[in-house]
This record gives sequence, structure tokens and C-alpha cells, in this order.
Amino acid sequence: MGIALYEVRFHGRGGQGAVMAAQTLAEAAVIEGMHAQAFPYFGAERRGAPVTAFARIDERKISIKSQVYEPDLLVVLDETLLDVEPVARGLKADGRAVINTRRLPTEIDLGVEVECATVPATTIAMEHLKAPIVNTAILGAVVRMCALVSMESMREAIESRFGEKFGEAAARTNVAAAAMAYQQAAVGRCKGERPLSSREEWLPTWQEVPIGVALGEGVKGGVTVGPGGARRNLTGSWRVQTPRYDKGKCVRCLRCWFSCPEGCIKREEDDYVRWDLNYCKGCGICAQVCPAKAIAIIKGGQG
Amino acid sequence: MSEMGTIKDMPANDMFVSGHGACPGCGMAVAVKNIMRILGADTTVYVPASCLVVISAMYPTSSFRTPFLFTAFENTGAVTTGIRAAQRRRGLRSTVVGLAGDGGTFDIGLQALSGAAERNEDILYVCLDNEGFMNTGIQRSGATPFGAWTTTTPVGKKVEGKREFKKDIMAIVAAHDPPYAASLSIAHYNDFIKKVEKAKSKQGFRFLHVLTPCVPGWRSDSSMTVEIARLAVETGMWTLYEVEDGNARTTYKPKAMLPVTDYLKLQGRFRHMEDADIAQLQEWLCAKWYLHYGDEIEQPVCAMLEKGKRMRYPHEEQLHFV
Repeated sequence: MGIALYEVRFHGRGGQGAVMAAQTLAEAAVIEGMHAQAFPYFGAERRGAPVTAFARIDERKISIKSQVYEPDLLVVLDETLLDVEPVARGLKADGRAVINTRRLPTEIDLGVEVECATVPATTIAMEHLKAPIVNTAILGAVVRMCALVSMESMREAIESRFGEKFGEAAARTNVAAAAMAYQQAAVGRCKGERPLSSREEWLPTWQEVPIGVALGEGVKGGVTVGPGGARRNLTGSWRVQTPRYDKGKCVRCLRCWFSCPEGCIKREEDDYVRWDLNYCKGCGICAQVCPAKAIAIIKGGQG
Repeated sequence: MSEMGTIKDMPANDMFVSGHGACPGCGMAVAVKNIMRILGADTTVYVPASCLVVISAMYPTSSFRTPFLFTAFENTGAVTTGIRAAQRRRGLRSTVVGLAGDGGTFDIGLQALSGAAERNEDILYVCLDNEGFMNTGIQRSGATPFGAWTTTTPVGKKVEGKREFKKDIMAIVAAHDPPYAASLSIAHYNDFIKKVEKAKSKQGFRFLHVLTPCVPGWRSDSSMTVEIARLAVETGMWTLYEVEDGNARTTYKPKAMLPVTDYLKLQGRFRHMEDADIAQLQEWLCAKWYLHYGDEIEQPVCAMLEKGKRMRYPHEEQLHFV
């Protein structure tokens, strides 16, 4: 098949396998005799935080090395990212999208109206891999969405990449997940109503900060900066499970308050506690350390 | 200041705020948050290259509400020394604390640490020990325990995981005769609080060594961070003691030694370990246990050790404080 430069951008969360997905797609293209590259971009945040990965495929040698700003194909490994950042920014009007969701394409507001495939990749991954690592399932839907590579090449790429790293059994289950996603993907057109503008950040260069003077606590260009300014990062959006507090059972030992890595459990005057869910990442430590079983962890990011 | 002893006595004011970028279930974040609550606002923080600087200093913000400095990897001892010297020169005084990882303490920062300890600089040095270079993607460090998988001690056909035992950094620091050195666990709350409070109140070089379970590096479940820290103490993988002006004192002694497998089975980094390796680790642990807690009470899990053939702890005779 002959294709011109085809650019793909993956949006996922740390731990979902967006980087491996980009690499596997590139490997499948190489198997078909094309040129390909794949690389990730992530900031300072860790597991659970938004991650981007890129892949480029071309039948000729690829000399461009930049990130992908105007993708032909957008792959979203976590639906909740749509509300967190302008995921579809730069997506070409004739581009395509693949989204991990239980909903149908027509129910998704991506911000750009394009051909779109949706697939319940998390459910498929839980069934086959017993873990919410959705990268291989989403790749099945990618093959379904655009005939970039054949399912046969994708199977071979998954076997090679995952087999090498995790063993033969892992390769088999990942291939099965991709095949199931290929079957279950729903194809349609998504909506383009959501605005895609992002917040203007005040980001001083080093010349703007006077020598020998630390950046003071304050507000610049509408954003909090300096000491304690990290509070503007609402890390609660990383959450996939949520604590539920039963005050009646609470014995006020404050173990959860001590053990919460986020400091999002707030201590009241009377030593009962409350959660600031804007920051809760849903690790589940509070429920684990509670001696009175007053905290339960429920599935889903909402309280 | 009144003596703090329990969680209820702790100040509720956070100096290390929410919104940092640590992984869900990060043990290091638990330790730093509580250390900073106890140290309070009158503190100057130095952090070398580590997870902590990455998660808490996302330009132009900071997770610390106190002054917060960062330079390079190997110089926590030197930079905190310099901060304290500048304060002296300007007639100021606050708690100067260096929050370094195990890589920045055991390996890369060792000579600066030794220098600061030997000069008895008036600083508090905290080693947040997650047993590896986790920030750069899980490489082995001098703190990585025997048998553990890391990307530089991979599990292959001939060699499975790290072949060396954990370096005893507390013994190295104690050999400098500092006013105060203590090991802490995030699962032993009151012990933790008392030791940080004691370190804050003393003058001269103070060293705190905290075990901080790492979810991605230890391949563990995010909710089990505190439980793993607790089991580390109950199995002898971690010992809680303090060395105050040359006198060593055990601050918490588990009732009975649990088999090390209780600790290993919660962590994917030990999943490959075979019986022979586990036995070797258990033997090393038994020697360490008897050294710390005395050998009057025979531990059932150590029954496989032949009496009289008991392995000596490495460099036992040099540890003047035992």
C-alpha cells in the first residue's frame, strides 16, 4: 500500500501503556515494509498522569523528528482525559480518532468532528490481561479504524514486542485482547462542540527572575506560582477509584490523615476527617490503614 | 516546645502541599509530608536530583511552602552546609533539612554526606530510601536488597536479581559519631513522630533514614504502601533504632520474627526468587535480627540456622555502637 507521511498521537495515563502502543504500531508498519518511528513525551508527573506518545509512518525515509502537532490519527486511551486537556488540538479535519469508552462515537464530543471508533478497551483488558493496561486492545480498534496496517502484521508486532518483554503467555493474551477489540469497535462520527483552547500559562524565562531572588508566593498571569503553588495542579483527575467515608464508624485515630500521600485528607477540629477530592489520586492507602473499616474504596473517579 | 508523641499532637498545618506529581500510593510523599508538618514553617529545604525534586518543583510552582533549593545530585551534605553557613553569616537560624534519596545518599552523595557528618554541621539530613534509582527508571543502588529485580539487576537464566546485600548506611553514619541518627518507618506512627521531633530539637549533624515503599519500582499495589513498610519491620528487613550521642537504642522490637516471604510476596520485584535465594536472604536477616535484638529468644523462622555456625553480620566488630 502506498501512504504519504501519516502521524499518530496517543493520549493516555502513565501505566496504561501508551508508549508501548506507539512502539507496537510502528513495529507493525515496519513489518509491512514501511518506515516508522515512535517516541513518548511526558512531563514531571508520574503513574496516572497524562502521557503523550507519538508514531510516524511513511513509505519513504522519515527525517522529521519533532513531536506530532497535527495528527492524522488520534488515539485516546482514557476517556476522562477529554475533560482534562485539549486532547484533539491540531487533529486534521479529515483525520480519525480511536477512543477507549463504553459509549458510541456519536455520544462523544471530541472537539473536532471526525471519523471515530470507540471500543470498551478497559473491559477487554480486564477480561484478558486482568489489569487495566489498554494498549493492545486499543491497537485492535486502530487497525479497524484505518487500514494503515493489517491485523496480521499487528498480531506479529504484538507477539514480538510483548513476547520479548513479558513472555509467550503475555503475547498470547495481548493478541487476544487486540482481536476482541477489533471485533467490538463501533465506528461512526463523533461531535465537535467542545472548545479546544488551553490555559495561557505564565512561564518566566530565567532572565525574568532576578538573580539571587526566589520566586515569591503569588499570582502571575492568572495562575498561582511560587511556594505552595503546586496546589493549582488538581491531581484528583488521575483517580480511577474513590474513597467513601463512613463517619459513624470512624474512631478518630487519624491514621488515614497521617498516611495519605497527597495530604488531601483534612483534619477537622474534632479529629474527624474529610477528603479534598480535587487532589485524591485514589491510591487506597486510607482504606487499608483504617482499623475501623470506616473507609471503603469504590470503583470510578467520582465520589 | 511541648513534646510530641502521637498523631494527635502533630500540627495540622501542611508545609508540603497537595498537587505534587507523585505516583498514587507514594511512600516518599507520606514521609515528606509528615516530616514537613513536624519541622514547620521555619525550615529551609534542600533536595538533590531525585523523584522528590521532580514531583514537587514543577516550574514555576513548588509543593513546599518553605524556601526550597535544588542544585545537583551528589552534594546534599555540601549544599546544606553552605545554606547553614550563609544563615550564620547573616544572623539567621532555621532548620536546614536535606531531603535526599537513597541514590543521593548511599552512592552518589556519600562523600558529601560523610564530610558534613564529620564536620558535625548543624543540619538535618533525611535519606528517603526507596531502595533504588526510581526517578530514572528503577536502577539498582547500594540500598537495593538482595534478590530484588531492577532494570540493571535483571532476572536472567543464570543470575536472578541483585546478588549483593543492602549497604548499612546507618552504621556508616553512626561511625561518624553524630549527635543523632535514627531509622524510621511510615507505618510506626508514634515512633516516626518522636524521632523527627527529636532530630528537630537537637543541634549538630542529625540523620534520619526512612524506608519509603515505591509502587512502580517495587511492583506493589498502591494501597499496600504502609502495610509493606510495616511488614518490613516485622520481618526484620527494616529495624527501628536510634543512635544518640554514641548510644544505640532499639525503639521498637517486633514480638516475633515473621518469615521474610510475608514481605516478599507483596512485591513483584521479588516474584522470581527461588527457594535457595529466599533461604540465603532469610539467613542474612536472622543474623541481622540477632545482632539488633539479641539472641536470647530463638526465632522459629531462623531454626534452619545451625547453632554455633551463626553467620556473622558484615563488619560486626567494627560497629562500635552495637
